[in-house]
Amino acid sequence: MKDKKILIVDDEENIRILFKEELEEEGYEIDVASDGYEALEKIKKSPFDLVVLDIKMPGMDGIQTLNEIKKINKDQHVILCSAYGEFKQDFSSWISDAYVVKSADTGELKNTIKNILNLT
Amino acid sequence: MNAVELLGEVIEISHSNLEINSRISAILNIIAHRMGFEEVLVFKLDKDKRITCRYSNQGCSLFSLLSKYRCRIGEGIIGSIAQKRIPQYFTYKDIPPRFGCIFFHELDGIIDRYRSFAFVPLSDDSYIYGVMVAISSEKGDLQDREKILLSVIAREIGGLIRVDEIMLSSKKRISELVTLSELGKVLTTNMEPEAALKNIVFIIAKALNATMATIKLNNFVSRFNIQRFTYGQSDPKLERFIEDLEGQAINAKRTTTLSEELYVDDEDISHYSLCSSPIITKNKAIGAMTICSSKKHITFDQNDNIAYLITTIANYISSGLENILLNTRLKDVIKELNETQKRVIEQEKLKSLGEMTANIAHEIKNPLVIIGGFTKRLAKKVNLSQTENRYANIIVNEVARLETILNEVLNYVKDTPISREPCNINMCIDEILYLFSSDASWEKVKIVKDYDTQLPQIICDIQQIKQVFINILVNSYEAMKGEGEITIKTGTAHINNKPYIKVAISDTGGGIDPMAIDNIFNPFFTTKEKGTGLGLAISNKIIMNNKGRIEVENNVGKGVTFFIYLPLENNL
Repeated sequence: MKDKKILIVDDEENIRILFKEELEEEGYEIDVASDGYEALEKIKKSPFDLVVLDIKMPGMDGIQTLNEIKKINKDQHVILCSAYGEFKQDFSSWISDAYVVKSADTGELKNTIKNILNLT
Repeated sequence: MNAVELLGEVIEISHSNLEINSRISAILNIIAHRMGFEEVLVFKLDKDKRITCRYSNQGCSLFSLLSKYRCRIGEGIIGSIAQKRIPQYFTYKDIPPRFGCIFFHELDGIIDRYRSFAFVPLSDDSYIYGVMVAISSEKGDLQDREKILLSVIAREIGGLIRVDEIMLSSKKRISELVTLSELGKVLTTNMEPEAALKNIVFIIAKALNATMATIKLNNFVSRFNIQRFTYGQSDPKLERFIEDLEGQAINAKRTTTLSEELYVDDEDISHYSLCSSPIITKNKAIGAMTICSSKKHITFDQNDNIAYLITTIANYISSGLENILLNTRLKDVIKELNETQKRVIEQEKLKSLGEMTANIAHEIKNPLVIIGGFTKRLAKKVNLSQTENRYANIIVNEVARLETILNEVLNYVKDTPISREPCNINMCIDEILYLFSSDASWEKVKIVKDYDTQLPQIICDIQQIKQVFINILVNSYEAMKGEGEITIKTGTAHINNKPYIKVAISDTGGGIDPMAIDNIFNPFFTTKEKGTGLGLAISNKIIMNNKGRIEVENNVGKGVTFFIYLPLENNL
């Protein structure tokens, strides 16, 4: 598990810290980005096994970022993570691997990551 | 005899305010006494062109004989005077037997007692009102001055009769006008059509002195549950005649009459006269008005004044009735419009409220995740005592509760797309009831099913509709505190002429506080300790999205019935 690299993209600093610490405890290597532009820079520099992408962000939103990521690497695993499930109907979100509703309970997020990285 | 004095007396009487009969009789008495005629009689020309002996002087012995037969114009001496309007004088020598009319046979043997006969027309320049007859047993040939005097007095009596007739007919006209104005009042009020029609038949029956007045409306004049409005007692034996006559009047679009002698119980003969007039608007007969009289002296004839009045009234109420019907339709449309407007405003309100709520919920969610997430981490990292651990758990649980509420709110606010599937509502409810029946806490709830087994399928979003039934059933369960009876009735209904499926769900939960009833479909309104106030709001939204409507009937102290209408022809 040690070698799996995950990028967390969220404009809210405390969310980034929470997810980073929670997922580091699970044994992943975590990097963070505070918006879509920063995320794209980092993905271009070095590859990630998975990107956890917030949807509502200033500037470039999660859906736009998702499209840009897929242009760089169409096989990049991405989990969309938003406060609510309202983008589930937006079919641009379908090109992501999963859609997780943000919650204080990070259990669902962790399970989804495991499934996608075939770690179960 | 002083002619001037005599005429003075006659004029004085004729101008007095005595009743007409007394005035004429008094004048005849003056002729008898002052001019020496034993028998002075006045024959009156009636509307039916018959001449009847109506007045005589006091002590006249021929009145009872002569009043038995009514002459026609031209018949006998009296009839010919009425025709020619020229006086004729006879003596016992040349008077024709029976006054030239074979029906006066009782005159035989009596005429011989008299010597002089004068027949004078009661006429003015244009019209004849009757004939005056003066008979004397003393006089021979009448003198010219006597003849002139009789003519002058006859003319005066004719004038009296004329004035009286004019007064009578003007009285009748006034009462007809009063009737029409009363009808006008009824027709221009905002009365409900039923009430107006009841008033109309009442006014007509009273005005025409009829035993009964009835208005029948054709079936296509919709909206009415009643098709006939009647005032007065209606004889069942007459119903057939009335209906026949109404049919004739409606088909021919003209007033028709019928006079019948009806044999009731073999011996009783009742006389009935009927007059039916069609009610026509826009060249279409929408019904008929019928008047019935069982009084012998009131009969209707196609050509007489009463039939004419009835026709006038029927025409008059036709247009009024049309207005009343239009008004009612207009009222319905306005009511519908108001309801729609209310719904639209309500929906707009909810929509803007929804957008605001969504934004707030969104802003709250992130901090909530952070609070909950770090509390969990804190509890994990630090070695907390039992009490502190409990506190941390409380925070985590409350955050989880808040998240649930936010999710529900978002669920309500967002526009869920609707799927279209054929659905049998009876089966759909049965599936839900099956779920509940496996739940032990529903043991004390008795479910009564009253399904329309012929219920047609509808197109709707089954999952959403199920959600509505579940919400309502759970509400009922909670209102009854888990014990009572829930009745579910399905069927079809029409709203504004459109077909719907109707589901009624009644409980025995004591009903809703009347103060709260207007708010139950509003979001975030709840009377429950742990409710979010979204159950019925979501149900309402779902039903509206499915083009149906949801209504509630509250029986305080007993229970509540929810009515759910879903359209049969659904164009979602």
